[in-house]
Amino acid sequence: MQLPREQVELLEAASATDWRTVADIAAELDAADQSVTRAALELRDRGLLEIDERFRERVAVTAEGEQYRANELPEVRLYRAVAELSDPGEAVEMGRAIGAADLDGPAVDIALSNYPRKGCGEIERGEITADPAYDPDADPETNRLAAAADAEYVSEITTNDEGSETTVEDTLGATDGDTSGPTGGDTAVLDRLASRGLIEIAEERRQRVRLTDEGVDTLMMGVEPAETVDRLTPELLTSGEWEDVEFADYNVEADAPEEHGGKRHVLRAYADRVKDVLVGMGFREMAGPHADADFWINDCLFMPQDHPARTHWDRFAVDVDPAENMPPELVERVESAHRDGVGEDGDGYHSPWSEAFASEVALRGHTTSLSMRYLSGFAGADIEPPKRYFSVEKVYRNDTLDATHLLEFFQIEGWVLADELSVRDLMGTFEEFYRQFGITDIEFKPHYNPYTEPSFELFGEHPETGELIEIGNSGIFREEVTTPLGVDGDVMAWGLALERLAMLATGAEDIRDLHGTLADLQFLRETEVPY
Amino acid sequence: MPVVDIDTDELRTLTGHEEKTDEEFREDLFGLGLEYEGETDEGDLQFEFAPDRLDRLSVEGVARSLRYQYGDARGVHVPETNDADWVIEVEETVPDGRPYVTGAVVRGLDLDDAALESLIQLQEKLHATMGRDRAKGAIGIHDLTMLKGERPVTAGAGGSDPPAETEPATSAETEPATPAETEPETPAETESEAPAGDDRDPAAEDPIEAPTVTTRDVESASAEDASARTPQKSITYRGIAPEGDRFVPLDHESMDGIGDAGATPADVLADHPTGETYGDLVADYDRYPAIYDDRGLFSFPPVINGQRTEVSTNSRDLFVELTGTDQWTIDKMCVVICYALAARGGQLEDVRVEYADGAHHPEEYGPDLLRPDLSTTEKSVSHHQIESTLGVELEPDSVVDLFERSGLDAAYSLGDETVYDVEVPPYRVDVLHPMDLVDDVGRAYGFNTLEPTLPDIGTVGGRHERSRLEDAVRTTLVGLGFQEALNFNMTAADRNYDRMRLSNPAGDDSVGGTATSADRPLGAVPPAEIPERSRYSEAYTQLRTWALPSLVQMLENNTHRTYPQDIAEVGFVAHEDPAEATNVAESRHVAAVLARTDATYEDAKARLQTLCDSFDAELATPATEHPSFLDGRVAAVEIDGERVGVIGELHPAVLVAHDLELPVAAFEFDLAALAE
Repeated sequence: MQLPREQVELLEAASATDWRTVADIAAELDAADQSVTRAALELRDRGLLEIDERFRERVAVTAEGEQYRANELPEVRLYRAVAELSDPGEAVEMGRAIGAADLDGPAVDIALSNYPRKGCGEIERGEITADPAYDPDADPETNRLAAAADAEYVSEITTNDEGSETTVEDTLGATDGDTSGPTGGDTAVLDRLASRGLIEIAEERRQRVRLTDEGVDTLMMGVEPAETVDRLTPELLTSGEWEDVEFADYNVEADAPEEHGGKRHVLRAYADRVKDVLVGMGFREMAGPHADADFWINDCLFMPQDHPARTHWDRFAVDVDPAENMPPELVERVESAHRDGVGEDGDGYHSPWSEAFASEVALRGHTTSLSMRYLSGFAGADIEPPKRYFSVEKVYRNDTLDATHLLEFFQIEGWVLADELSVRDLMGTFEEFYRQFGITDIEFKPHYNPYTEPSFELFGEHPETGELIEIGNSGIFREEVTTPLGVDGDVMAWGLALERLAMLATGAEDIRDLHGTLADLQFLRETEVPY
Repeated sequence: MPVVDIDTDELRTLTGHEEKTDEEFREDLFGLGLEYEGETDEGDLQFEFAPDRLDRLSVEGVARSLRYQYGDARGVHVPETNDADWVIEVEETVPDGRPYVTGAVVRGLDLDDAALESLIQLQEKLHATMGRDRAKGAIGIHDLTMLKGERPVTAGAGGSDPPAETEPATSAETEPATPAETEPETPAETESEAPAGDDRDPAAEDPIEAPTVTTRDVESASAEDASARTPQKSITYRGIAPEGDRFVPLDHESMDGIGDAGATPADVLADHPTGETYGDLVADYDRYPAIYDDRGLFSFPPVINGQRTEVSTNSRDLFVELTGTDQWTIDKMCVVICYALAARGGQLEDVRVEYADGAHHPEEYGPDLLRPDLSTTEKSVSHHQIESTLGVELEPDSVVDLFERSGLDAAYSLGDETVYDVEVPPYRVDVLHPMDLVDDVGRAYGFNTLEPTLPDIGTVGGRHERSRLEDAVRTTLVGLGFQEALNFNMTAADRNYDRMRLSNPAGDDSVGGTATSADRPLGAVPPAEIPERSRYSEAYTQLRTWALPSLVQMLENNTHRTYPQDIAEVGFVAHEDPAEATNVAESRHVAAVLARTDATYEDAKARLQTLCDSFDAELATPATEHPSFLDGRVAAVEIDGERVGVIGELHPAVLVAHDLELPVAAFEFDLAALAE
């Protein structure tokens, strides 16, 4: 019988009585593991060889994990500190709790991000509570970590030619229903530990081969290598020999090794998709500072200076001297709008207003500061109607950090300037935008913003769950906004979070996986490319 | 956004729509802009809404809005008020920081538990919104029968004097005999009403004895002809020393051993939970705000009321007082409460507010006020404005109908241009401009019934030049095999500097603000810091001055993922710079790391060279030093002759600090260097 050379060599190397590993045979034949595996698969298909495969996940506790085994998980320490400092349910100032828990460096972040997730309690506005329902002595992650330290393998799967499959969960001692093994019947906790970098799970694959009876018979009858060629070489091509040789068949269905390559960040890719849509709809892109005078961020938007959103705990102030970039005439007109309103029947706010307050520098809470800069002509734009502008840029909100809220996120912002605009124009424009993302049947819920009237919250159906969710905020800028800016015409504007759109589309459950230094490389490598 | 708790049984009663189901209410309220949020433990429905219609902060206001929506009510409704029986006298001793007061009397109420709860909720929600957490306006509601009026100074001369010609308010108060002479009462009480002294009778006894006396007072008063009567009774708003007097505050059980003598305002701030919460509002005052009746101190605004005048379901007549920093604001808060109580069947009664000479009266209203101010206002709206905003054509009569269904009244004149004169009820605090009335018309018409159109204008779209450059660089980096990263712009000093072995120039005088970034190692520039008061946590104390630390942290967080890990980012960096108008210099940096067992300087340079070539930029890499990199394997990145960044192998101490167990080659430079 004629067989490709690799298969002949393998047949001869294999034993009829003992299992030999592919790795051993490859070493003996001075061949690559993959080519021996490929030959083994083909021989199995011919019924000459049987293959026995074992797949194991080896578990090891990392240095960080060992440290927590010794000193408890940071969030558990934080919990004990909070519980110690307060009565159940009562809030403790965060700094105190962190100090009492003796946490510093990255441990603080780790404690704060895991604390609410595990139901230890709530963190809000710099205060922290301890939920009495949480038991620090029965923390599943602590328990799993301890079990993982005692175990060597998470699981073992053995497959042989009969196709029967043996799964040994919780190797090293666990039996059915026994939760003391490393998985404790719940690999989710173990996966979480791995994603926190407290344990490492390494995959181990071993393949063994043995001759079948038919294989032994075939060998007895004699096999010889066929004249086949593995690789097409420059010599074969130049000599013309390629016309006479037979090329060995590859197992074209076999898995190839992993190759990551380079990839755009999924959120950036989404931003580009949004930008493409808006450019296609005739919008031009704006740019401007992240740290800006409150004047551009709030005062131009007719936000009274004592508005709750302008208190220091809702925004990120920047510790620098006041800004000097506000045109005096514009400041005067904006102040007048705040104090006395705009137009014959206009009223102002009954709130204090000072230029000093307006000059303070903060991280922008919305990119509407860019719209103000452009609409005032300050950014150098010509603002004769008609105009359309947009930006997809970062904004900063001092909100509680959790699975759906970030301190920094991208805001999609767009506005249209025309001599006359109606609510119907607003609805049509924004419906068209969402249609590009598969979101139809938009509902416009009348809403209130200090800077637009009428204002609408936009609701749309989640493309997968069908749930009605908020997908944006919109309106026509008030005259108290446009008149001081010197705008002659109507301006309609809208905004939404890019992350919201991207989460809908990618199915990401934790926004922090998409964005920031917690980003999981695996997720970024494997996530679907948007287009 | 405010959340209002609604007992739907109450809503059925107050709207008169017993047939409505909770589900129907939820839909109807969504139409009004109130979004269902969930249920309270007591089974009330919770609705969130935007903070414009603050008259909807309680079930009474929500019911009123629904009645307009259902067409059960039309036009402006203003409740009747009886003439004033009470006066609030404002002394010049009132603290400058909280000069204003207003009030109203409401009689004939029969509040059950739900109604009382609703009133308390309304009070709290108004505090949280218009009242700016009581700083701008604080409400005190008192059981009127527990108040004993002082004889108003103005009534002394037979009640015909106009309030302006009063004697100084202090004179009556310094004569202890006056109240006893004019209103003879039991000897024991007369004694107890002596001016504040250490041995006065326990204030806590007053409520037990007082009702019979004061109720009789009220009855006899209400029997009189109510018209054109001069107020007969007064309370006084004044400032007192922090330890100047004692009273028994609400919830005093939480204060240890205050006993019958009561507590001073200073004690309340120190020991009472509510005092601790609101103490900051008066902490800077020399004198604390205080309200007195004939029996003495009964309210310590904006912190807490006295227990004596506590409102219960037995209270029939209420005295509402508000203090604050803006007269208009507290007047409007008062109006919202008056409308809610009128909806509960209460009869409103005016209260006079008289600012003494020397007291700081509101400029726009003068020293003598009659409150609550239920006057309506008028605004003009053109028919054209309505049609152009809604994008539909309407008949004037149907516009008037829409106004009336919004709780407004409107009249129009047909001329060259049809203009509506619209009357706005006093509880509407959100109407600043005629466009706010157009919005009401739109809501009544039903915005969602409008047919969307696209505006008939042509504009040319396009990307910003810098955003195009950023994208082109990202695409090139991805082609070189980098996974693109996207990190937070906020970071902490230890991550930005210390863990990268950079010294933090914050507070370093030798750096000042004048050192140019070119003179210093990349990243070692003064931070744009977030001051402690507005930090979220100690993990976010400044903007990052360079991007490499973010990438190294990303490596740190992904040590369990397969290598090689080649990551790059084109991202925002910033630092403090007095040369900028905002005092913050902002730019974009291109940063990349190659983390692999055999990563070398050469690997990083090969990629940087290709990147520069792609943008037709001339790259040179003269040797330099940088604390984050290994000496002898670090160079400055010079592009087209300008020093714009750094490239090299990361220092082993930096790697160890980030728990990395393999070499990392990296570069970072200013994106602007690649621009044309």
